[in-house]
Amino acid sequence: MSSNLNKTIEKVLGDSRRDERDVREATAPHQSDFPYDRDEEAQVTRREFCNFLGLTSAALFVGATGFAGKAALDARRTETFTSARIEGAEVLAPGTSLNFRYPTAKDTAILVRSLDGNYHAFGQKCTHLSCPVYFDQGNHRLECPCHEGAFNAQTGDVLHGPPPRPLDTIQIEVRGDGEVWAIGRQASNVERLI
Amino acid sequence: MQEELIKRRGLARGHAGKGRAAVAQARLILLIMINLAQLWILAATVEAALAHRFSALLPLVIASAICFAVTLTLIFWWRPASRHYTSSGYLKR
Repeated sequence: MSSNLNKTIEKVLGDSRRDERDVREATAPHQSDFPYDRDEEAQVTRREFCNFLGLTSAALFVGATGFAGKAALDARRTETFTSARIEGAEVLAPGTSLNFRYPTAKDTAILVRSLDGNYHAFGQKCTHLSCPVYFDQGNHRLECPCHEGAFNAQTGDVLHGPPPRPLDTIQIEVRGDGEVWAIGRQASNVERLI
Repeated sequence: MQEELIKRRGLARGHAGKGRAAVAQARLILLIMINLAQLWILAATVEAALAHRFSALLPLVIASAICFAVTLTLIFWWRPASRHYTSSGYLKR
């Protein structure tokens, strides 16, 4: 059994060595013009590694600056919202939810109809690391599957988990024939110490 | 006498080589540690931005900038003291 295994290993290793030798023989005429030593190329010098670390440091600095800059710009921007009808909300059963997009097609949101028949809408991005939250019918709360954060389904407040602030709230309005309209979106801006 | 002098010089060069290697190694370790710190700073920045803790953003960016500046000084200006050329470019005697 073990001799068979050894034979197989030898065969595989022998084949790989032969392959390498074939390649070397085939490329031999070009070696003088374009000398290439694979073993030598695989080595990374200390200087190269230092330069790589320097570039990494630059990339991390640019990333932090870019992220902070974008967040600060977004916070200063004042948005004007147009009303949008939430399709299918009027037939939503109490204790269930519906996903929609507001104010733009990129911004996902969730509409919850509580057991008392009232509507509550929130941005679907978890305030921890932006995972989409879903409505847990059993516990009647909004949950984030990524890090087990949970939000109150009526107020958007944090119940437990790592999220540092409540969900963004979407103002809604129930019009004439029971149609539900989204009329604005507000980010909860609660500063907490790290 | 002459042989003794050459031998001593060789020993001194060997010690200097070891010292240079140690400095280079220390520089490399410092760079890695700074990179790790910057990685943490980036994670903290992302978390602060998502949590709308805007007062924490500027200090984090400044900390990252300081790390980057230290990295640049380590790469471009820190040299082992026993190099053939000094930091100002003059050849040592």
